[in-house]
Amino acid sequence: MEPEEALEKFHSLKLSQIMPRFESMPVVPADADILSVLKILRTRHHVWVVESREDPRLVGLIRYFDVIDVLLPPEAHRFKLGMTSRTMRSMLGGATKAKDVAERHVLTIEKDATVLDALVKMRKYRIQVLAVVEGDRLIGEVSLRILIDELLRLLRVGGAQWKR
Amino acid sequence: METVTWLLFALGVSLILAKIGDSIIERYELPGVLGELLMGMILGNLVYFGIVAPEYLPIVTGEGFTTSMTTVANFLAKLGIIFLLFLGALDADLEQLKKTGVTATVSTLLGVFVPLALGWFALVEMGYSSREAFAGGVLLTATSIGLTVRVMMDLGVLKSEVGAASLSASVMDDFLGIALVIFAVGSGSLIELSAKIVAFFIITGVIWWFLVDYYIRFAERLHVEKGILGMVLGMTFLFAALAEGWFAAAIEGAFMMGLVLSKLPEGKRLMEDVRAIGYGLLIPFFFVHTGAMLNLTVFENANALILAGVLTTVAVFGKIFGRGIGAWITAWGRGRDFLFTRENFWMSLQMGIGSVPRTEVALVDLMVAIHGGAIRPEHAPEFIAATLIFITVSVLITPPLLKWAFKREIEESRTMKATRKVERIQTTKEKIKEIKGSS
Repeated sequence: MEPEEALEKFHSLKLSQIMPRFESMPVVPADADILSVLKILRTRHHVWVVESREDPRLVGLIRYFDVIDVLLPPEAHRFKLGMTSRTMRSMLGGATKAKDVAERHVLTIEKDATVLDALVKMRKYRIQVLAVVEGDRLIGEVSLRILIDELLRLLRVGGAQWKR
Repeated sequence: METVTWLLFALGVSLILAKIGDSIIERYELPGVLGELLMGMILGNLVYFGIVAPEYLPIVTGEGFTTSMTTVANFLAKLGIIFLLFLGALDADLEQLKKTGVTATVSTLLGVFVPLALGWFALVEMGYSSREAFAGGVLLTATSIGLTVRVMMDLGVLKSEVGAASLSASVMDDFLGIALVIFAVGSGSLIELSAKIVAFFIITGVIWWFLVDYYIRFAERLHVEKGILGMVLGMTFLFAALAEGWFAAAIEGAFMMGLVLSKLPEGKRLMEDVRAIGYGLLIPFFFVHTGAMLNLTVFENANALILAGVLTTVAVFGKIFGRGIGAWITAWGRGRDFLFTRENFWMSLQMGIGSVPRTEVALVDLMVAIHGGAIRPEHAPEFIAATLIFITVSVLITPPLLKWAFKREIEESRTMKATRKVERIQTTKEKIKEIKGSS
């Protein structure tokens, strides 16, 4: 497929068509230990936090970048009005579970939205990953990694690794 | 044209000194805001003592110094307060607040009411008008959550029952401290003021709560650079204008906007941008500007020192007593048998001491009270001096006091860590022996 044609098709793809299976997503229960989150983050860019394995209600998201706040000692944080939420993520400050460090306000998108919609939203809020939800349940995700993979698959130069 | 040059100069000097002052003070594990205030104080007094002519540093306000440039500087500082409160509210987690327990709620209410009432009573006794006394009381209500969190984190007790309750109580009393200042600066009869407050809450709280989603969607559809940020700040200023018009307290509008927006992930994503404008420009300028308002000649008469002494005493003991008693009477939800125990006493005392530090909100309330006319212009210098003194004292005494109050917990945690270390070493030695034996 030519690049123009591939990109056109890519933009109009529904997220439900390219979403990975829930089981293959990086998901941990809210009570999971921070260390188990860090282990996942060695190879993934983010981790979803849900209520429990049986109850996939979305609690929050831990992004690669948030690890900085987790690893920094409390004294490296600035205690100012409007900055306390970041400080509370510090492991040395007492955060022990996934829910302690997750950002609870997660940007979401409908599964019927297109790749173009997702890209526009990602640029607007400068974020690499969006949750696909049904009500308050996490059913999928769309990340830059998935999008790159999907485009490469359309161009038949590789891709769709995550589907295996 | 010349005057704009010096305003820009003053702005530049203020920002550079603010950041340096912040950094120096933070090295001593104290709130950086004290450094910003100190730098402001130095700049301001260069003018008050005639070392620098006022036109070269037009950030000094007050009798004899007001020019069109100081009015602009004043407005920039006001924008700083608006950004500070907007950020503070935007960073709040309303879901967490819903989980606040009975102990935190009761101790917050008493922790706010006792210093307010004591402050009001003491100031009326000193001869201040009832309105000024009330404003003085309001200054004493809001705890600075930052320092308590930091010290408790350092001591390893933030996750304790007392730590968690202190955290939610400090968030709530910030809210109360910000809300109560309306009664100090608001004019008109109590009924009129109450009606305005209800109407304001309905518009900015209830109606906006339901409309904010649609507004953000609309802003998203504009597809312009920083469109959402611009639209949100625009609405914040409209709310601030409404609050300024109705209660002479623009902060209430910014605060409500931040609070409602904090429920949306889209709102939270704006924090970095708002922080950049706030902490990169306007908020440090606000603190330097506030510091510059302290004319050290105010200490020529004893009034300021007496007021500082009274406010400091009420700020420290009123809070410890108010919040402590509030926690004590709830017996931490463990029933009547726990009420008269030594543990209840200590936990409540720890809770009380954790609420002593005051910083940002006290300064914000002070500025609102002065600009709103609740504190008379001739009394403003002594209130500024007294507030800066009680803030400094409160943040200096809290860390050692907390360390003392938590000494048992700190000792226990040290012993536990040491025991674990010994156990680990023994296990490792045994494993080595096993391996050697098998080989």
